[in-house]
Amino acid sequence: MSQAITAAHTSAIDALHTAYVAALDQGDMAAWAATFAVADETSYFCISAENDRRGLPLALMYDDCRGRIDDRVSFVTKVWVGTYQPYRTRHFIQRLSCESAGNNQYRVTSGFMIMMTPEGGATTILTSGEYRDLIEIQGEGDNARAVFRERRTVYDADVLPRYIVFPF
Amino acid sequence: MSAHSTHAYTGEAPKVWPAKVNQIPKEVFGDAALFEEELKKIFYGDTWHAVGHAAEVPNIGDFKTFDLGRVPLLIARGKDNQVRVFFNSCTHRGNQLETSVSGNRKEFECPYHRWLFSLDGTLAACPGSKEFAPDFKQENFGLAEIKTEQFLGLIMVTMGNPPPLKEWIGESGLPTLTALLGGDGRLKLLGYQKVRYASNWKGYNDNDGYHAPLLHTGFRLLNWQGGKGFQRMTENGHVIFEAELKPATGNGFLKDPSLIAFKGSNPERGSVITQLFPMTVMTKHMDVINLRFAIARSHEVTEVHYAYFAHEDDSEELVQHRIRQSSNLLGPCGMVSMEDAAIFQRIHIGNQTPGFAEFQKGVTSLTEIPMDVKQNDETGNLPRWEHYRKVMGFKREGEQ
Repeated sequence: MSQAITAAHTSAIDALHTAYVAALDQGDMAAWAATFAVADETSYFCISAENDRRGLPLALMYDDCRGRIDDRVSFVTKVWVGTYQPYRTRHFIQRLSCESAGNNQYRVTSGFMIMMTPEGGATTILTSGEYRDLIEIQGEGDNARAVFRERRTVYDADVLPRYIVFPF
Repeated sequence: MSAHSTHAYTGEAPKVWPAKVNQIPKEVFGDAALFEEELKKIFYGDTWHAVGHAAEVPNIGDFKTFDLGRVPLLIARGKDNQVRVFFNSCTHRGNQLETSVSGNRKEFECPYHRWLFSLDGTLAACPGSKEFAPDFKQENFGLAEIKTEQFLGLIMVTMGNPPPLKEWIGESGLPTLTALLGGDGRLKLLGYQKVRYASNWKGYNDNDGYHAPLLHTGFRLLNWQGGKGFQRMTENGHVIFEAELKPATGNGFLKDPSLIAFKGSNPERGSVITQLFPMTVMTKHMDVINLRFAIARSHEVTEVHYAYFAHEDDSEELVQHRIRQSSNLLGPCGMVSMEDAAIFQRIHIGNQTPGFAEFQKGVTSLTEIPMDVKQNDETGNLPRWEHYRKVMGFKREGEQ
């Protein structure tokens, strides 16, 4: 961990990670989107480790602007409803590094694991992976709040065990 | 997800097919013993199977591994720029030669006894060969190749004796496949989405490719309409499909409608599909070029590697557009095709019940396999089922 980070910023980053996990584990897509900055230059990518390692740009989810993030919420909540077999997730994350990127921004890396429970089924591992984030602190002191400017989710599974509805 | 067929196939008594051509016995979807027969008669039989595209291994020494049924394959580009497909097995004791999914090598070395193979498969070194069997000749122990043909870089393999590839695809399908492969096959790999579906390969195949748009709420919300087109089948089970796609604006539903813009393709040929028997679906939809290399893992697991491409001549802007459209539109999490993926698994569960899968739309005769079907008919699948029935040797009710 960088020495430069203040307790308030660490706390804000922790709260962001918690909010992200809570949103997805409750299937709350609006809350998921709310963990991202409202600025247009905000992105969420979810890409396989194989593509990432080989420098292949194709992703599983490629939301390279705020509009795309909002459109993903619309698709999950308005278009796909009633089509997919429901499943619940539990995300577990472990922060690996956090470095200042200037301008109240931090490069943060975390490991994650996602457990999945289909309705009526047993719990299995969906995938593990790494979050590579650019996190921005907005506000000062007690009002400091962290948001994602960029979250790059690199998942480990060379072959995913099922089709995917929710972001990782 | 596993379920048991109520009429377990023993491998002895052939299944009897109903006289009505629009009925498929659901018992063929849930039968482990039948899968073993399908491996022999279809996957290792007189049929071509798509295993890759040359653009996946663009440089000398590039390789990828893949499976045909349970047979491991190693696809490699040699120093002579030829792409060869080997059995991924050392010619000494049969050890799996390459374990990586993809990569680049100067040669392939088996770690077991250090046999070393050149990129063209030649056995370059085998330590201690003075003590080998009296009839050992190094030149006889190059990597074994599986029979291979290419069409515009599309790599097809077979363990049987099908007709030459172009003849097997059929003259009527070549123009569509050519258009799909960018006109000349000069493609550039953008990446993969790989997934396993809890579905029998025939259930996957029956519902991938083209199907009724009723499933897709998104089409309606986005005011996304198809135009005129055609669907064509061949006697040996392929489906060729082309349709106009009206450019959609998103109807105000999308905040970022640029995702569904046409930038490189002619909307008049907006949706182009080639579906080759037994289970290869390839499509160019809007600006997405997508080849789906599928592996039948078992009677209840189908693995699909969605490979996406740009064309070598694309501008940087078009490549970028293809990347974001490809990532978000047609894969196992795609705006359009997540729903398809859900159906693969739901239909597999539903098919573990007695009775028949019934085809209706476009059925005009109960006794003749339809070869002339309209663009939106579901009967396009029936010639493939008929071909499957014949290859598997299942008799129709009343047939001697």
